[in-house]
Amino acid sequence: MLKYALNRLAWAIPTLLLLITVAFFMIRVAPGGPFDSEKSLPPEIEQNIKAKYHLDEPVIQQYFRYLGQVLRFDFGPSFQYRDWTVNQLIADGFPVSLSIGALAMLLSFVLGIGIGTMAALRQNTGLDHGLMGVAMLGISIPNFVIAPLLILAVAINLGWLPSGGWEWNWRNMVLPVITLALPVTAYIARLMRGSMIDVLNSDFIRTARAKGLSEITVIRRHAMKPALLPVISYMGPAAAGLITGSVVIERIFAIPGIGSYFVQGAMNRDYTLVMGVVIFYGVLIIAFNFIVDLIYAWLNPRIQY
Amino acid sequence: MGALRVILVGLLLLSSLGVNAGEKLLRGLGPEPDSLDIHLAQGVAALNVLRDLREGLMTLSVDGMPTLGAAESMLVEAGGLRVIFTLRQDLRWSDGTSLEASDFVRGWQRAVTPATAASTAQLLDVVENARDIRFGEAAVETLGIRALDTQTLEVRLTRPLPWLKWLLAHPLTYPLAEGQQKQRLGPFNGAYKLQSWVPNDRLVLQRNPYFHSHQSVAIERVDYLPVPNPNTELNLFRAGNLHITETIPPARYNWLLENYPQELQVQPYLGTFFLGLNLRRPPLADNPGLRQALSLAIDRDKLTRLVLAAGEQPANSLVPPGISGYSAATFDIELDSQLEREQQALELYQSAGYSKAKPLRLELRINSSATHRRTALAVAAMWKQTLGVITQIVNEEWKVFVNNRRQGVVTEVFRGGWIGDYPDPTTFLALFSSDNVQNWSAYKSSRYDNLLDLAGAEMDPELRQQILQRAESQLLKDMPMIPLYYYVSRHLVNQRVSGYMGNTLDIHLSRYLSLEAAP
Repeated sequence: MLKYALNRLAWAIPTLLLLITVAFFMIRVAPGGPFDSEKSLPPEIEQNIKAKYHLDEPVIQQYFRYLGQVLRFDFGPSFQYRDWTVNQLIADGFPVSLSIGALAMLLSFVLGIGIGTMAALRQNTGLDHGLMGVAMLGISIPNFVIAPLLILAVAINLGWLPSGGWEWNWRNMVLPVITLALPVTAYIARLMRGSMIDVLNSDFIRTARAKGLSEITVIRRHAMKPALLPVISYMGPAAAGLITGSVVIERIFAIPGIGSYFVQGAMNRDYTLVMGVVIFYGVLIIAFNFIVDLIYAWLNPRIQY
Repeated sequence: MGALRVILVGLLLLSSLGVNAGEKLLRGLGPEPDSLDIHLAQGVAALNVLRDLREGLMTLSVDGMPTLGAAESMLVEAGGLRVIFTLRQDLRWSDGTSLEASDFVRGWQRAVTPATAASTAQLLDVVENARDIRFGEAAVETLGIRALDTQTLEVRLTRPLPWLKWLLAHPLTYPLAEGQQKQRLGPFNGAYKLQSWVPNDRLVLQRNPYFHSHQSVAIERVDYLPVPNPNTELNLFRAGNLHITETIPPARYNWLLENYPQELQVQPYLGTFFLGLNLRRPPLADNPGLRQALSLAIDRDKLTRLVLAAGEQPANSLVPPGISGYSAATFDIELDSQLEREQQALELYQSAGYSKAKPLRLELRINSSATHRRTALAVAAMWKQTLGVITQIVNEEWKVFVNNRRQGVVTEVFRGGWIGDYPDPTTFLALFSSDNVQNWSAYKSSRYDNLLDLAGAEMDPELRQQILQRAESQLLKDMPMIPLYYYVSRHLVNQRVSGYMGNTLDIHLSRYLSLEAAP
């Protein structure tokens, strides 16, 4: 088990290196540079700016310079937000994205598993169809539709919660967390229902029932763990996605998370910012997949290392 | 009990009277500021915040006109080539240290130093030796600015500058305190100082007790909220979380007119939207008649009233209205009805050798935006209907578009537009001088260049304006671009905000505003 874990961790290094390399060259291949804007710069000024950020060097030299920086955990200055380093931007934005994402994750995990299990136990009844119908809606209605509806109803018409903006209190979190959690909840509920139905039809559950165990005990002691497997493998990447923020949610609710840096960074050709968030996201995905594998092994006795 | 009630009612009445100084003003900022470094800041958002935090020799009055700022007096000598400024008595930075003439010298020298990489440094080219320093051909100490004593400043220019006062109110010419590294950490010399700044969240500004006119500053704290999405801004405004928005969602213009008529502030803005014509390649090169035809075929009234429908004004000139002392040149046929214009367009089109059977084919390039797309579609439809031109609209991502437009290799027509840096016709007319980097059309006319040079040397303001007007009518005759509409600024302003006054530069310093108590 330990050997497996170490092996997995060792693989993370070439994976990250590949990610950095591909992203580094891809963003530079994109037409236009970080300092192209509505006002074209006079050539001598453009030259000064490029020299300041080492953009006048050959790309290969820039690449190795950048690798050296990354080894020192220095992502460099942002080209677009020129008063900040990428490290500062991520350090400021990540706690916000993390708290909203983690709350949304928790909410959707609890609700999704509850709803999915309930639907599975009442398979093909009105309740099942009702719940799954709502879940289907939750998956298919995009959050940029849900969010303005929530704002209109709860913030503007009822005046219960702020319509957006950020302060560290629960009132600013409610609407973004709900919006973010809805599709994930719905997805988990559908996954959970499917796998629970599979498990409930398997032989070891029949055996458990034959031993005369109560239905609650059968679910809790025997069915729950194997039924969670597909949910858990979905949760890894989903969690990494949720806690690194969503550009849609951040734009609509005016939240200072790091989700919009992906999109803004790419649009502005803010090379360093894009690289910073890509690496950050990459590390999180690798970490979460690793954790998921460990949980998987614990849940599934058939997995051997 | 009765007495208590009287006291309570009295207190309530008292609290509803007068100005509420304790409350903070919440202002929308649009995008996150690019930098609060006076030499790196470029975007409107950053410049607006800087104007609250810092001040130059001149500043802007409540109606957006230049007025004395840190300087107490300004004396122009030697035919406008030498200017002497006396600073106000006892000027201080927000940390209490005194602000001296040498702080201006420090700021200006840093602006033109190549290593600073200031993107607007060429604005200072009128100062002696500035250009040579920028190109690394002269030492920075040779710049034409000198502290005669702690309170007196001498500036030497290479030619008299009609818009010098505006330049002196621009953040590029602000002073810098000694040893200042990260400018966002202060010290500041404006009406406010920066208390905190969390990127994409908010900038908190606190009244600066060392500001020379701090007694007249009513609002204690100003929060700037970067909200790039106008719909989000509107929601914040409606829920009471913003007092002034940066803009409005254009599609909600009519709805706002109906529902927030008092709050909606629409003002002419110093900017013109135009379609640039690529003169590097056929068919538009060497074909001014055809270019005129394309311009005449567009019904600008219909375009602004029905298609854009958010307050924009139809444009018949490059220089927008609102510049005092200048009336823009317009097309010769300005007074004709649209029908006559379209007939004339058709004649010009046919004499250029095109017809319904042999139509002109054009590519019109825009950057992705709902407004640009609607405009392009409407223009293409008008060209098609009136002339039979077949237009292909190409939609490009921002940076790709900017690059293609600058290189001018592809496309015949492209989305253009310009917001003036200062209210003087030259900020627009210089765009089309042969050597200007913004001359995306590659328009080259020695007559036009000569007129601009002539105006640059003309001392008499009235004669100068006349020359500029001649230059503009030459430009409109050659038509390297088709002006479509003049921009407007659009804000929602809470009725509790007083002291807010619309102006063509759309600059509203927080020091002039106050918040009435909530009703």
